[in-house]
Amino acid sequence: MKALLEIKKLETGFELSRKKSLSLHKALDFELIEGQFVSLLGPNGAGKSTFLRTLLGFQNALSGEVLYDGISSHDMEVKELAKKVAVVLTDKIDESFLTVNEIVSTGRYPYTGFSGRLTDEDRILINDALNLVGMLPFSERSFQQLSDGEKQKVLIARALAQQTPLIFLDEPVAFIDAPGKVEIMELLKHLSHTHQKGILAATHDLEAAIRFSDQLWLLGKDGKVAKGNPWELLSKGIMSSFFDKGDVILNTEKLRFEKIQITNNLTDETTI
Amino acid sequence: METNSKTTSWLIIFFVLVILLFLANLWYGSVLIPWQEIFQILTGSGDINAVYNVIVLDYRFPQAITAMAVGMALGVAGLILQTVFRNPLAGPSVLGVSSGASLGVALVVFAGSMYQFNMLNSTSVFHEISVVFAALLGSLLVLSIIISASRRISNVVTILIIGIMIGYTVSAIVGVIQFFSRAEELHSYILWGLGSFSKTSVNQSIFLLGASMIVSAIVFFYVKGLNALLLGDHYAKSLGIHVRKTQMIMIIIAGLLIALGTVFTGPIAFIGLAIPHLARNFFKTSNHRILMPAVVLMGVALTLGCNLIAKMPGYDTSLPINAVTSLVGAPVIIWVIVKRGKVKRA
Repeated sequence: MKALLEIKKLETGFELSRKKSLSLHKALDFELIEGQFVSLLGPNGAGKSTFLRTLLGFQNALSGEVLYDGISSHDMEVKELAKKVAVVLTDKIDESFLTVNEIVSTGRYPYTGFSGRLTDEDRILINDALNLVGMLPFSERSFQQLSDGEKQKVLIARALAQQTPLIFLDEPVAFIDAPGKVEIMELLKHLSHTHQKGILAATHDLEAAIRFSDQLWLLGKDGKVAKGNPWELLSKGIMSSFFDKGDVILNTEKLRFEKIQITNNLTDETTI
Repeated sequence: METNSKTTSWLIIFFVLVILLFLANLWYGSVLIPWQEIFQILTGSGDINAVYNVIVLDYRFPQAITAMAVGMALGVAGLILQTVFRNPLAGPSVLGVSSGASLGVALVVFAGSMYQFNMLNSTSVFHEISVVFAALLGSLLVLSIIISASRRISNVVTILIIGIMIGYTVSAIVGVIQFFSRAEELHSYILWGLGSFSKTSVNQSIFLLGASMIVSAIVFFYVKGLNALLLGDHYAKSLGIHVRKTQMIMIIIAGLLIALGTVFTGPIAFIGLAIPHLARNFFKTSNHRILMPAVVLMGVALTLGCNLIAKMPGYDTSLPINAVTSLVGAPVIIWVIVKRGKVKRA
């Protein structure tokens, strides 16, 4: 299996000034292969977004390197990187007149000339991408008038039209109702297993991540890191060590968080 | 993002409208000139009435050409600013960029007055170039302040308020400069500041239109980058666009266009903000490949139309052009703000 993404000794964080920096995670070593669906999990503020932004070159790594198809991202032009990885972000798109088709056609930009004129082949790829996510009938609709779930599928189609081996998604199922969530996670699983895409999705949805993804990358607070098969991480209690917060703990059977009820009979007796 | 046949036909209709409005500007005024005379004057053939010849070629022709140049320059600049700042309320006058250009002009006029030159009434090419250059520097100065502010503040209305405040600050500085100016320069600067399409010479008007066309043509090469910026900086970068570079080039071009649209005519209000909205809502698109020709044609048509209205039927004098453009432009701003409010609530 071909490694699409290799992360070597990566240190993420922020450069505060020329000498000072705030490090979030050190010596990250991950690998993402063809046809693999990885979910990136971690509590709020642990550094998931920073990690994704660092991979995409939106912010600088403090040290280490990221390789796409064996080529370091340092040595890559933005246009080359655009042919390796497509993204679905949480950034709001609020242009009122953009149609679904226009949004998806931007996925072809790394391949078009300066005017962005599309060839017949581009148009076929755009329709194929919309068809794959089940949004082809919405092609001429205004993007702004779609529901959150439909918007998310259009943005996934946009990433597919970019024809990249890798797709990174930030919070793909936030703000989406339960059936829509399953639909999108099934879609991502299908894209990775049937279409050999490498998929990395940062999410807060523990249950969905465990059910659908092949591997989990955990980014915890204080630089804690783990990776592995979802069920293994769960049964070994590693998952709990990342997420438990005071008396709110992970119920590993029901895949949900519960507050422990401390019933103290002794106190009752002593008061009598 | 394809242009369909309906869009193309509308663009052709607007092109024809521009030609008709241009001819109407030559024909209409305190003296109505017969159509066949206009054609004879334009083609330089036949028996030409000398008085008509002067009225058309020395007065109405440069005025119409200047109106066209300003409509094109400010319209395209407004479109660029609205896309780059992702702010529907951005525009040359509301962001204070026109005021920046005015400051540049005021400084040059004041400097000229110390050497006993009246820069605004000068026929020297060197003086004209230095006024253009000063207007450009002034508009770029304000744009760079707006850029650094919008890196820190994302709220579009806050940026707008900052722009308005810059406008006031610049006006105050201009006021101080005026205090030290000679009466003659003061008089010509105040006249310039009222805004007018009628003070440009034939050469100046042709320079304005030619330069506006060349600079606007450059923008066609950045249609893809501008479209990508509609999705936001991160998406644009992930699509292989050099975001910072594209933004910088576009802002310099907007600065150039605003300088061109201000330098010989004085600041013209609201045109730059209103035209992109009219184009977007008429063609129901945000795609710059359609918007660019649409903004150019609708901008030119609008300024030619405003100039016609300013010529007030039945009166010898014309209205100040800014009164007409404000009456058209200010309601557009109100409409945009109300519409945004509705979208937010929905």
